[in-house]
Amino acid sequence: MRKVVSVLSLLSLVLCFSFSNAAAGSFNEEELYQAAKKEGEVNIYSYSSRVFKFGKTFEAKYPGIKVNGFDMDSPEIVTKVLAEQSAKNYVADVIFLKDPSTVVNELYNKKLVSNYVPADLEALIPAEYREPLLVHHASVDAIIYNNEKMSAPPIKSLWELTTPEWKGRVIFPDPQKMSEYVEVLATIVQHSDEMAADYKKVFGKDIELSSGIENAGYEWIFRLLNNDAIILGSTNSVAEAVGLSDQANPPVGFTAYSRLRDKEKNPKLKFDVMLDVSPVIGVATEVIIAQVNEAKHPNAAKLLTRWMMGDEKGGNGYEPYFVMGNFPVRTDVPAPEGSKNLSELKLWKADPDYVWNSGQQVLDFWVAHLK
Amino acid sequence: MKRTHPSFSRFKNYIRRPHIVISLILLAILLFIVLVPFARMIRDSFIWQFADTRLSRNALPGEFTLFHWKRVFSSALTQNILVRPLFNSLTTSLSVSACAMFIGSMLAWLVARTDIPFRKTIATVAVLPYVIPSYIHALAWINLFKNDRIGGAAGVFQYLTGIVPPDWLSYGYLPIVVTLSIHYFPFTFLLVSAALTSIDSRLEESGEILGASRTHILRRITFPLVLPALLSSFILTFSRVLGTFGTPYFLGTPVRYFTLSTQIYSNITNRIPSVGYILAFVLIAISSAVIYINQKMIGKSKSYVTIGGKGFRVTDTPLGRMQYPLLALIVLLFLASVVLPLVLIVWQTLALYPGDYSLRHLTLLFWIGEANTAFAEGEAGVLRNPAILGAAWNSIKLALSASALAGFLGIFIGYAVVKGRNTKLASMVEQMSFLPYLVPGIAFGALYLALFSHSFGPIPALYGTFFLVALVCVAKNLPFTGRAVITSMLQIGSELEEASETLGARWSMRFRKIILPLSIQGAISGFVLVFITVMRELSLIILLVTPQTRTLTTMTFRYQEQGYTQFSSAISVMIIVIVIFGELFSKKLGKKGSI
Repeated sequence: MRKVVSVLSLLSLVLCFSFSNAAAGSFNEEELYQAAKKEGEVNIYSYSSRVFKFGKTFEAKYPGIKVNGFDMDSPEIVTKVLAEQSAKNYVADVIFLKDPSTVVNELYNKKLVSNYVPADLEALIPAEYREPLLVHHASVDAIIYNNEKMSAPPIKSLWELTTPEWKGRVIFPDPQKMSEYVEVLATIVQHSDEMAADYKKVFGKDIELSSGIENAGYEWIFRLLNNDAIILGSTNSVAEAVGLSDQANPPVGFTAYSRLRDKEKNPKLKFDVMLDVSPVIGVATEVIIAQVNEAKHPNAAKLLTRWMMGDEKGGNGYEPYFVMGNFPVRTDVPAPEGSKNLSELKLWKADPDYVWNSGQQVLDFWVAHLK
Repeated sequence: MKRTHPSFSRFKNYIRRPHIVISLILLAILLFIVLVPFARMIRDSFIWQFADTRLSRNALPGEFTLFHWKRVFSSALTQNILVRPLFNSLTTSLSVSACAMFIGSMLAWLVARTDIPFRKTIATVAVLPYVIPSYIHALAWINLFKNDRIGGAAGVFQYLTGIVPPDWLSYGYLPIVVTLSIHYFPFTFLLVSAALTSIDSRLEESGEILGASRTHILRRITFPLVLPALLSSFILTFSRVLGTFGTPYFLGTPVRYFTLSTQIYSNITNRIPSVGYILAFVLIAISSAVIYINQKMIGKSKSYVTIGGKGFRVTDTPLGRMQYPLLALIVLLFLASVVLPLVLIVWQTLALYPGDYSLRHLTLLFWIGEANTAFAEGEAGVLRNPAILGAAWNSIKLALSASALAGFLGIFIGYAVVKGRNTKLASMVEQMSFLPYLVPGIAFGALYLALFSHSFGPIPALYGTFFLVALVCVAKNLPFTGRAVITSMLQIGSELEEASETLGARWSMRFRKIILPLSIQGAISGFVLVFITVMRELSLIILLVTPQTRTLTTMTFRYQEQGYTQFSSAISVMIIVIVIFGELFSKKLGKKGSI
């Protein structure tokens, strides 16, 4: 499926660019800026509040174009774009969000959004991050612990979180609210064989599945919920719950790796990501940029897209994302200081096809076992 | 000359009566803003949506299916999306209604019938808890009674006493009931004190002369007389709590205490709206049943209603030694329900780091700071932030236009219902205008999104327009203004209008000179209620706003989610200030308009 999509979109891209071979490979910034300036503004729906940061730097760099950033959850962006397309009231010019499987299936395949890869970046971004839609960065959801209270990461395996020692001390973000945690859970189920192998490694025996449960991935979710896991509504509240200093018995919790940046905002936060957990430390998901069909400010949208992808140092428009826990897709951009490269971390990557086909089933399992 | 058929001329006569014409026009409007969305909701629950392809491999978008109904009523999920949330919704709503009615009516009795000091002041501040958005009470509770279950900083209670509050005190049923009761008792207070002041206290006095004890009088005379007011406050509170989302979400989720409203919200945001709609039907069914029972009870108690007439005097019951203890209790209530949350929220806007209340770290940065990329992702303080000021303007515009339009329509609804009392047409108008009250805000918003993102019939696609946001607020709040006008019109006989009709006054004249002045009081009190409600409206409009039409509430929600407590608190303070100003202003307006 994904291949077909990629081939189709490649074809359409080729068609788009074939009319002027000279344009392909080189990015004419000035020409695009002049066209964008005539449009005067650009509306972006963003899953991330950092839209205001790169919006400001964009406005400074390209005077005459105003950035109207609108910060909302990924599912809401999809709902809104669907509504705008059927109402023919085109507000969003460009969208910046998580959950690529939904975007591809519900918007891209129905030709409501299209892909745009700035020509000068084509050689710098691996094909998997260019097709079907441009990936801005990869983000990782992992487990954090309070490093003021605990001198070292307290667990070595995901399975330890299901033991009595951690009863009521594990926080998981609400997947009913944040679709990236459906991706995380679905990816764990997808890799159930590795989960089973890890169980054997930790406990020295084969896992016994509870009745009615299909595989070790589901079993892990089941046991986590039965271990009185605490559900919170946002990744930043997890960071605060785990990381705030002066706690007698701080919990551990899943959250966005990039929440580490909160420590600058609030010096009372003391937490770190556990980088040595088996079978994986977490799940990598992708954040994508798509151009909305019939947008009123298409050139400004493209210019903004180019700005967001930044320079070779991870600077200018990319700067807000050049932090630990966000991983650039440009091969020429180094990992931020103190951070490893994505490929060096023990991670599973969320597979959009699997998430599209099984994510809801996994979420249903979660809801059915919330006791 | 053509001979007209007698039944046709009867029809012509019928149609010429102004309240019939008004009823018919109203029905057309209500059909469009209430019934069509409702029908669409029913239809959608039986149709595969495109997003359902995630749920089932057999999904055929656009085709008929019972899948959503099966999912809610008989699947592995039934227990957790229907049964337990339903139980929780019912128990919290009933408990909140009972507590709110108790507090509200006791307070009303103290203010209207006893010699408690500072009665005027008490009457004014009693409305304030409703002005403060209810999630602020929830957040204040968490700040006070948070235990270490969800990590982070301990609450003030634990900090001061060293005792770790048990889970049942920190989260779930009890805190939800307490905070919502505090928020909703003003409903009962307003309705019951209005009833008490209009009852002739001579009825109570004659009981006294006949030697009845005080409690006996309260039980046998006063209580039956205010019963209708109590029952309507029960309906208002009960159905309101049933549809409340924020408080149960904040206080319930940490202990997995879900209610129907939180389940509706998560299904709709997960884009399984059909399931959300079905859960909304369950809510509507419960509210309707409660209202039906309620109306039966009011119907019975109607025989008690006395025509008070003007000029009776009210004798205050002396409280004696109880005077000051009771006053202290009231002061305590206001400290807990108004002062404490307000102080907490203002303080939060001044804290440099969220949750750090030390004086050393106080700052005005989040109010008047310039855009500085080191803080809050580079956003300027709220008073300098064009996006927030724009949203403030939107909020005011929205609240004013929605409440004016709802008030205006309310006058006509009141007229049509009261004039056509006991006719099918009138009761149809009344019931239809009340329907939106039963649909939870988020479901109503989702419906409007689904419905008005296409053009249908002569109506263009309205999604993205300010008008649509205003329209949904008008539709949802019609029950307030309709009710208010109906109540005030019922008190006035139809003789006035009939007299002027006999004297040959045209309808437009009668409307301007008689109907409007007589109903304006009701319309204004409805207007105020709608203004306050729309200023704080979140779930109803969150799916419908765009960058151009966003409001203060939608912004405070985002900031809260992102963890910028200072910004979200500062915006909440702005909302409260605007609401209080609006209320004071309309009180002035109300005085001028009175006759």
